[in-house]
Amino acid sequence: MLTKKLQPVQSFLSLVSRSVGHFPRQHYDVIVVGGGHAGTEAAAAAARLGAETLLITQKIHTIGALSCNPSLGGVGKGHLVREVDALDGLCGRAGDWAGISFSILNRRKGPAVWGPRAQLDRQRYREFMQSELLSTPRLTVMEGSVEELLVTDPNPEQPGQHRVNGICLANSSHPISASSVVLTTGTFLSGSLFIGQTTSPGGRIGDAPSSAGLSHTLRERLGLKVGRLRTGTPPRIVKDSVDLSLATLNPPDSSPTPFSFMNTHTRCRPEEQLPCYLTYTTPGVERVVRESLHLNCHIQQDAKGPRYCPSIESRVLRFPGRRHQVWLEPEGLTSDLLYPQGLSMTMPPDVQLRLIREIPPLHKAEIHMPGYGVQYDFVCPTQLSPSLQVKSTQGLFLAGQINGTTGYEEAAAQGLWAGVNAGRRALSKPPVALSRTESYIGVLIDDLVSRGVTEPYRMFTSRAEFRTSLRPDNADLRLTLKGRFELGCVSSSRHQKAVRVKNSLQDALAALQALSLSTTSWKRKIPDVHVSEANSNMLSGIEMLQYKDVSFQVLASIFPEVLLPFMEFSQRLKIEAVYRPHCESNKREIQRIQEEENMSLPEDIDYLSLPVSLSQEVREVLHRARPSTLGAATRLEGITPAAVVNLFNYVCFAEKRKKTSHGNQRRQKEGREEELCASLPQ
Amino acid sequence: WAGYGRCGVAVVRVSGPASATALRSMAGHRLPPPRTALLRSITDPLSGEMLDRGLVLWFPAPHSFTGEDSVEFHIHGGPAVITAVLQALGSVPGTRPAEAGEFTRRAFQAGKLDLTEVEGLGDLIHAETEAQRRQALRQMSGELGHIYRDWSHKLKRCLAHIEAFIDFSEDELIEDGVLDQADRSVCDLQSQIEQHLRDERRGERLRSGVHVVIAGATNAGKSSLLNTLCQRPAAIVSPIAGTTRDIVETAVDIGGFPVLLSDTAGLRESADLVEQEGVRRARERVQQADLTLLVVDSTCLPSDVQRAAGFLSEHLRNMCLLVLNKSDLLPETQRQKLKMELRGVSGLPAVCLLSCQTNEGLKDFLTVLQSSVKTLCGDPLAGAPTLTQARHRAHLQQCVAALSQFQRYRDSDLALAAEGVRLALTSLGRITGRVGAEEILDIIFKDFCIGK
Repeated sequence: MLTKKLQPVQSFLSLVSRSVGHFPRQHYDVIVVGGGHAGTEAAAAAARLGAETLLITQKIHTIGALSCNPSLGGVGKGHLVREVDALDGLCGRAGDWAGISFSILNRRKGPAVWGPRAQLDRQRYREFMQSELLSTPRLTVMEGSVEELLVTDPNPEQPGQHRVNGICLANSSHPISASSVVLTTGTFLSGSLFIGQTTSPGGRIGDAPSSAGLSHTLRERLGLKVGRLRTGTPPRIVKDSVDLSLATLNPPDSSPTPFSFMNTHTRCRPEEQLPCYLTYTTPGVERVVRESLHLNCHIQQDAKGPRYCPSIESRVLRFPGRRHQVWLEPEGLTSDLLYPQGLSMTMPPDVQLRLIREIPPLHKAEIHMPGYGVQYDFVCPTQLSPSLQVKSTQGLFLAGQINGTTGYEEAAAQGLWAGVNAGRRALSKPPVALSRTESYIGVLIDDLVSRGVTEPYRMFTSRAEFRTSLRPDNADLRLTLKGRFELGCVSSSRHQKAVRVKNSLQDALAALQALSLSTTSWKRKIPDVHVSEANSNMLSGIEMLQYKDVSFQVLASIFPEVLLPFMEFSQRLKIEAVYRPHCESNKREIQRIQEEENMSLPEDIDYLSLPVSLSQEVREVLHRARPSTLGAATRLEGITPAAVVNLFNYVCFAEKRKKTSHGNQRRQKEGREEELCASLPQ
Repeated sequence: WAGYGRCGVAVVRVSGPASATALRSMAGHRLPPPRTALLRSITDPLSGEMLDRGLVLWFPAPHSFTGEDSVEFHIHGGPAVITAVLQALGSVPGTRPAEAGEFTRRAFQAGKLDLTEVEGLGDLIHAETEAQRRQALRQMSGELGHIYRDWSHKLKRCLAHIEAFIDFSEDELIEDGVLDQADRSVCDLQSQIEQHLRDERRGERLRSGVHVVIAGATNAGKSSLLNTLCQRPAAIVSPIAGTTRDIVETAVDIGGFPVLLSDTAGLRESADLVEQEGVRRARERVQQADLTLLVVDSTCLPSDVQRAAGFLSEHLRNMCLLVLNKSDLLPETQRQKLKMELRGVSGLPAVCLLSCQTNEGLKDFLTVLQSSVKTLCGDPLAGAPTLTQARHRAHLQQCVAALSQFQRYRDSDLALAAEGVRLALTSLGRITGRVGAEEILDIIFKDFCIGK
């Protein structure tokens, strides 16, 4: 059994000392701008890869701050956390360190859609992140505000119209150069804060707004298309002022499941965990919202907000007359605040107080800090390649909310991916891709760069076509081995552990397969299980494990000498056994998609004049999205199967043409056909 | 452009952006009003020589078969006229001869037809009997595709509900009824599709022909019956037992329904190796048949009618007609007795007393045969449209299997249950070509040389 202890967090003093008086170098391999969920993962990943990395953030002590909800994971999001961890990222281990209330959502709906989730202690999460980053080799953390990107002419051997090769800090005349720059500005890009009728520039309350220069460069200098999104956060409530006896207690799992594959237990002991509480809105809440609409700037703006975690205003306006859930969540082990999930609001503070007091457990509640709304610019992510590099600009990578996503986990996943590719670029390694057939990170990135966003993008399990294969339990098998050798972002200790797990699971499954008994013998050994007679006479241990009521423990008690050595994997083996047949049948389809993904579409292709029979609509979709592979093209909205076939033929033909350098009659004939097709209206 | 043959009128169709140019350069500079037939002189665009006088029609996009600009020349059907017009067309820039099935392919690509409609069109062109034509026309008009799309639509909704329940139910408010509703829809759909599949292959039979096998002992007159039915001496007939050794097949039209008739070797023990093989083939063919015509030499029947019934029962299989041949050799009294007595015997199929020699009883036999064939094919116009293709059947069976995966995992693992609905949807989509069409597209257009 592996009983690795969580790393003790270094004293806070030593981290501060590292940044003070530390004069930055003139050149880094990678510069990461921003110290949120995307920035921390990006900086750590680039450094793990071997790149000299600089992380620039406004304040070191806000690194790892949870700007909104004090929780990590959930359905779909938990999958991302497990995958980031499998690639040796930080957020899984940070969650295990800071978690104070663990539960697995969707427990009754099947392991493929289990959602590992935890309430977090804000203080502990920050501590962990800062300690990790400040002790990461090759990573320098620096306080500062980025004023400008250094933009130069592109390297003519690579596609792109510009190149970013460094940054300029505010209050500094010395630019810092870098091979790659990763922007993770979150909500700070032209961010505005909204409370009631007042608006002020900024991306988070209490932090200075980021410079207008950055936004200007992206838009004007690099010509990137940007859009506007909005989000919001609820007021924080003084815990002592809440009557929790009027809310429903929702206890965590009695035995916390860690996020990280490296941990066997969480820092928080099971009995130390804090519960959440559930309560509901009342008609009074709706009344206050309606009465105060004229005082609410944010809600009157038409920037797009998430449908998934809407503000209380949009909830009651969209579904009037209904009661809505409000979760009262702890903010930390020793925090005296509660976070009311579901009560994100932007009305004036006095109205906020009136509103929450319409909810029975909050009828005497005090607000510590009011809720507010944020509007910010995002860069339309179809302008990115699957490595998260801006297609038109060499060396510039974007990750997190700047790409139109919402959520810590989505940001962390992109941050890690951008960090890996930024590091690879700096180290002159080719960019790498993660397929949507092997990971949720791949799904996330493919969705972003090939479809773009119309509202803040959040991960769902239904976005993954091969959900039964991409489970939270097997993220290490899917990604850690690849992460070590193909990507270079996984440490050797994690890699060794994953190899050991992989071999053990293989051995155990082989042992189970070898246990072949007749149905009658099985019935004698496990009398409670209804083995159907219709099955062939001999059943293997794997087939028995597929029965709902047969656990690995039951089998191990019957065949202790063969199976007891694998007891630590009992849950994983049960899941493997049940899902195996389904994953097998997925394989052909996965293969087809991977083949399509391997057919790359040239970056400089001109869809508007492409000599292929395509409708004008399809041409415009392709022109806007510029998919990097045929696979990405098939998933674009508005692409017909016929268009895919024609595109497929074109790609095949283009490749053939590349190979045969000399023209012949056949080519002329085909050329003529191309001309004809080109002029077809559809 | 396309069109061929020797007939009164030939239609040459041009589709694509050069259509208008072709029409202007060959039949006058002004385009006729859309979809209106005009009589024009058709001239060679280079020499100006008049080639023919005929009707021309102009179909601007998207209101044409292909969805593109199209032109039709209705010209006289002589080969010289057609060749001249085609040659003239070839000199119009931007035109070339159409490939096999190309017009249909373009119509499909422009979204004018779905795959079932394309298949229906192919069947219509190939229809040889009246009932086949009716079925094909119905399919081409989109009725079958409509059913499948309706099912797809319902499944999509189900899946969306299940997915919402998986992704949202725990932190947001999804009504509890959502899953029950999905349960009900899946059940309904499953039984509807199973019902559709339980058509006894009627539509496919009508499309590809009913397999009717003539079987019986040697020298019972099987080949004579074949020749009588197809009204020509297709099989050799002789008084020697064992004349027919291999299977003789011929296609006939029985009351508007297509029938593939097979004559087989007479069933008897034989030392002759060739005849043994013939008998083996005959038995195999009977196994695969939709309908067997069991031919018995009526002079060999036991004279006691009750015993005759027992004797006949031994030779029966499910779908079978009894043909008592050589009735002309029986005395009139015995004939009457057989007719009267065998009609009422339970367990016996329809019995026809027939003489291939004198054609006596042939009319009655044909009526019985026709109604059997009609039952096997179903009425192509009545009720819901039927399955016409084995391809559809395979996809629908996959769909039903996938839906039972939903049922199997509904309570234990919703992710695997949802996967079942997803698979079901993919299978349905493959029928109409709205999902995953790329794989079947090539097959469709390779296998069907359609709609020139």
